Amino acid sequence: MKKYSYMIFAGLLILSLAVGIGTALAAPKPDSAAQASTLHPDFKLLDQDGVNVLESRNAVSTMKTCGQCHDTTFIASHAFHSDLGLSDYNAKSDSLDTSNGLFGQWNPLTYRYLSPAGDERLDLSTAEWLMTNGERVVGGGPATTSRAGKSLSDVTPSATNPESAILGQDGKVSAWDWNKSGTMEMNCFLCHLETPDTAARADAIHAGEFGNANTATLFGLNIVESSIDGFVWNAEAFNENGELISDALGIQDPTNANCATCHGEVHPNSGDPLTVNQCDVNSPQTATTGQVVSGQRISASGMNLANKDELDRSWDIHAERELQCTDCHYALNNPARASELQGSNPEHLVYDPRTLDINEYLQRPDHNFARGQSAQYNVAPDFKGTMRRCENCHDADKGHADWLPSIKTHMDAVACETCHIPQMYAPAIQSYDWTVITPAGQPVESCRGVDGKPNNIISLVTGYTPVLLNRTNIDGETLLAPYNLITSFYWVYDDANGKRPVRLVDLESAFLENGNYASDIVAAFDANNDGKLSSKELVIDSSAKEDVVKGKLAALGLNNLSIEGMVQPYSINHNVTRGENAVNDCKSCHGADSRMTQPIKLADNAPVMPVFDIGNNVNGTGEIVKGEDGALYYQPNPSKDKLYVFGSSRVNWIDWLGALMFAASLLGVITHGTMRYFSSKKQPRGEKRTERIYMYESYRRFWHWLQTITIVILLFTGLIIHRPDIFGAFSFRGVVTVHNVLAVILVLNAALSLFYHITTERIREFIPHPYGFFDDAIVQAKYYIGGIFKGEGHPFEKLPTSRMNPIQKATYFMILNVLLPLQIITGALMWSVQKFPQFANALGGLPMLAPFHSLVAWLFATFILVHVYMTTTGATPLEAMRGMVTGYEEVEVHEKKDEG
Amino acid sequence: MKKRFPSWTVGLLGILLLILVPVIYYLPRTQASNDPASHLPIKPVHVDHKDIVKGEFKTGQDVTRACLECHKDAATELMKTTHWTWESKAFDVPWRTEPVTIGKINQINNFCIGSQGNENKCMSCHAGYGWEQGKETQQANPENVDCLACHADSGSYGKGLFGNPADGIDLLAAAQSVRAPTRENCGKCHFDGGGGNGVKHGDLDESLYFPDKNLDIHMGSDLNMQCTDCHVTKDHQILGRMLADNYTIDPKEQVSCEQCHVNQKHEDERINTHLSAVACQTCHIPAIALEDPTKVTWDWSQAGQEGRTDDHFTYLKIKGEFVYDKNFAPTYLWFNGNNEYRYILGDPLGKDGITYINKPAGSIEDSTAKIFPFKLHIAKQPYDVKNNYLLQPVTSGKDGFWTTFDWNSAFKLAEPITGLKYSGEYGFTETYMYWTTTHMVQSADKALQCDSCHGESGRMDWTALGYPGDPIQWGGR
Repeated sequence: MKKYSYMIFAGLLILSLAVGIGTALAAPKPDSAAQASTLHPDFKLLDQDGVNVLESRNAVSTMKTCGQCHDTTFIASHAFHSDLGLSDYNAKSDSLDTSNGLFGQWNPLTYRYLSPAGDERLDLSTAEWLMTNGERVVGGGPATTSRAGKSLSDVTPSATNPESAILGQDGKVSAWDWNKSGTMEMNCFLCHLETPDTAARADAIHAGEFGNANTATLFGLNIVESSIDGFVWNAEAFNENGELISDALGIQDPTNANCATCHGEVHPNSGDPLTVNQCDVNSPQTATTGQVVSGQRISASGMNLANKDELDRSWDIHAERELQCTDCHYALNNPARASELQGSNPEHLVYDPRTLDINEYLQRPDHNFARGQSAQYNVAPDFKGTMRRCENCHDADKGHADWLPSIKTHMDAVACETCHIPQMYAPAIQSYDWTVITPAGQPVESCRGVDGKPNNIISLVTGYTPVLLNRTNIDGETLLAPYNLITSFYWVYDDANGKRPVRLVDLESAFLENGNYASDIVAAFDANNDGKLSSKELVIDSSAKEDVVKGKLAALGLNNLSIEGMVQPYSINHNVTRGENAVNDCKSCHGADSRMTQPIKLADNAPVMPVFDIGNNVNGTGEIVKGEDGALYYQPNPSKDKLYVFGSSRVNWIDWLGALMFAASLLGVITHGTMRYFSSKKQPRGEKRTERIYMYESYRRFWHWLQTITIVILLFTGLIIHRPDIFGAFSFRGVVTVHNVLAVILVLNAALSLFYHITTERIREFIPHPYGFFDDAIVQAKYYIGGIFKGEGHPFEKLPTSRMNPIQKATYFMILNVLLPLQIITGALMWSVQKFPQFANALGGLPMLAPFHSLVAWLFATFILVHVYMTTTGATPLEAMRGMVTGYEEVEVHEKKDEG
Repeated sequence: MKKRFPSWTVGLLGILLLILVPVIYYLPRTQASNDPASHLPIKPVHVDHKDIVKGEFKTGQDVTRACLECHKDAATELMKTTHWTWESKAFDVPWRTEPVTIGKINQINNFCIGSQGNENKCMSCHAGYGWEQGKETQQANPENVDCLACHADSGSYGKGLFGNPADGIDLLAAAQSVRAPTRENCGKCHFDGGGGNGVKHGDLDESLYFPDKNLDIHMGSDLNMQCTDCHVTKDHQILGRMLADNYTIDPKEQVSCEQCHVNQKHEDERINTHLSAVACQTCHIPAIALEDPTKVTWDWSQAGQEGRTDDHFTYLKIKGEFVYDKNFAPTYLWFNGNNEYRYILGDPLGKDGITYINKPAGSIEDSTAKIFPFKLHIAKQPYDVKNNYLLQPVTSGKDGFWTTFDWNSAFKLAEPITGLKYSGEYGFTETYMYWTTTHMVQSADKALQCDSCHGESGRMDWTALGYPGDPIQWGGR
């Protein structure tokens, strides 16, 4: 022993010398990384009975120990991380879910099913649930308390009670004694220590030694070691009062690394290139979405990533900028976050100073943390939407002011994540097929975002583009946001209490014999008859295969077997990037290949058509379709979510109708023109007498041509906005601006011209006179279909005071009183969506207004075509046009009629 | 009078104006690109001197005479520069009553200590010949200007003792190869200063002869920038001043990023908020000596040991012990472009056991100062125990320390040259010298990120810089 301490002394001496020389000779070194609280006092470690562990040598009790100062009862009862759905536990026959949390919510990825009381076949008992999930369970809640609210240690061991039984490897059920295993209190150390020993803790949990798990978390800190006869507490770690020296513990606010223990991949920026355990459900957030919380540049990662060199952005801008998980997911009664909590203040009250005192808070910190509204976590629904979101820190109006048009319209329809998380760079689970199993008892998995097997050094990680789905927030607002979709297939049967997933043990007995596939399974699945089942063959793609498996499962006594499939959305909220790497090209959404309509692959094979999981806030309004390659896809359909995306959305029948009208008019014009041409050849020339009349004074010409140019450009820019994919050369944003500016010019011009026509009373010219209108119109129509080909003169004289024939009057009456106002109103409403969406929404919003605007635009285009043609029916084909330019027109001279 | 244009054209013009003016006014504009490369100096076209220069040349001075036949002012221009004088203008420094000059000619550095009395070796990097004539005579004669050092193809020219051409140089071939200076010319002295590749600077070494863009975005990019692209030269006056060889530096005489990066801001507002406190170099030069190692410590007290094996990177009998390092983070100090202190021969040693050869000026209170990256070179240099000042030995030559390994005689020998009395008792003391880090610039994708400096694993010692704590939490200045 003495020798040993000499060695330590010598070692320390050498170390301090080395450090001393190092500091003397090297550049100033940065501060050490330790950020642990130096304020936390030393404290006694107490066991379950409140006795100092130094005396009792027992396992430590966190509730008793931390409870010396903190109100641990309050904390444990205000913590959804601890509750995990226990308080919501309620077995129903119509649903696989028995709660809204990890303890009871059916998860096809982890598969094993927490059996309710009374089930014929026991799958996961509470004890085995804790053994398999306990690594990611903080303790307390279902780890200490029964479903009925008793202490688990009071539950009598019984093979028939799923709370105090266990399913053995052999499929036999035996009793579980909670008094022997101990229960697992809420583990303060797990999140509040700088370096909790998570591995030792996991070992204790997997071994079913739940009562030791919290003590095992302290291993490796020179405080306690395990020995054959209990724990050996290291007296040197304690002060003379028998209190643990808190510095040794490194007590701190939870860091990203603490959260990572259960949630997913977190990586510090420093040094080591990041690698990800791809599609591994033990880091669920990363496995299900590819989210990685790291400030490291993606290009610096250790993964075999496609185009890695160009990915010089960080994985997550907030991690890069030193934000911690707890900056957004904070304790709800933390007085430092008081400003966020004051949403329920009366409107006039900007700030309410009556917050908790810091010591009150430290005594009773609310461990129901601020949380978001993700699709996959449903526990503690009351706390959804309490966290600090993008808009609590960032002002989107200011941030996008320099480039994004219609900011409000965008922000009302699209979540920040949609553009700011454009791409995931780590793979994520695509599908889990439990209808077949591997010899290791695993499902057939597929992983998106990786070319080849995940975690294989030669597989190229490509990442994937999230699918955009509409989600309904708790305030009723709907937003488009990015998701991964995970599709799972599994067998279900009818148990006494209702539908249940087929237990893994039953699948194994159906598929396997002594660790290999059963011969009849091989016979049914082995397509190439090589006696082995390759991963490609391991799929139920025919009723024959299905029947074989079904038969084998039925032989085990399972009734009413069928295959179910479920598509589950997983929210993507992390891995945010700055504007320069976000989606910032209008055409990525406003165009033919709009991101909003991009399908996402669900699974290579589908034993059954899956259904979209409705147990979340995501609206699966798209379609699940089989692609030409036989794979299953999800095809979003924004129009079903009341979204109209210019450039991407369109109502086909309106375009067809409009085009048809235009084409028909074009055909009519061409036919009419051709007939006129040939008939004019038969006519003697220069027979009609004409005279030069000052037909159009300058203001008329001015407003006419201004309107002409505006309307033509409006039609053209409108067409580009409608179909930007055809006009790739134009900047979408620029075209939208031109369209809006010209619309304003058109409205002003129309208004001024109206004023002119009213004040000069020239408006009369436009008003058809009811008396004899139809007669006159018929006369004029007859002229167009008959007289015009015979060289007859126009039936009505064109005079400066009366320039229009009856048909013309009627047409203009329609154009100016119906079409133009309609187009102006629909256009203005569409524009106003960004400022006063309530008006547009009252009329059905963009999905109604925009197609209407398109339809009227088609009518305008048709009118212009016919209008231009009609101008050629003057004295000479170009005469009317010349008149509109110069003001003087040669018009036919009509003999004064006798009766006139 | 016939109208030139029909009146309707006026209307048309009015209509077009009515449409175009608002459209152009509202049309989204992209920022006019501000290409830094457009600010690079335009250099004269190269004139091949092969047929112009005839010879025959026996000495370097012969070549210079030939050059001066056409380039009449070249020598007088060069003789006004520090490349010739090796000496700054005179500075008034607060700790001296008389003005002082600083330069290799009369002061010491942290490497080979000082050139006085060591001219035969040191002057191989001087842009002149004939140091065997003595300083006064050498400096007075324009024909001693060494045109070839900077203008000859460096493959065909080299310098030997006393600044003269090395033995065996074909002076005619060298003279015929003249051109505008390239990185090779400058690198001969500036990459190998201090006695070998990368010894002194850390941000300048032979890896820059053939850099790729990961080594230096300017020299390694397609622009293949030469030293003179930034160190803009007019009448042989080269822009840019060595911090260690000056006391204060007029910003007009210094190279700056803004010469080319005019009004260029980062896209990220957050980065721009740093610009008042952080120099460009701080983020864009994350590490020193990326490829070739540079000397970080030099312990003269170990020199002269018998029987110890020489190794270029760890120990040389003539020079002592060294530590080389590569790809390491710089030392960060507030810096306003000047020195707070520069050791002048005869100055007393530092009080806290560290004598600063130079100490950059600036502090958190100095609004003109920014956080700047430095290479800190730490040496153990000889000093006079009784007189309490640093000593400059004569090292080269047949009586120098490198031959005799006798410090006493080396100091005695230097007495008449430096004018510093030697008491007969010497010791070794720690000396610090700061070198600005301005080359091996990295593009944005390899520059420092937020958490390189901020947060738990950040590289800045915030309290040493004068902040109460990490400014990400405590606020900036």
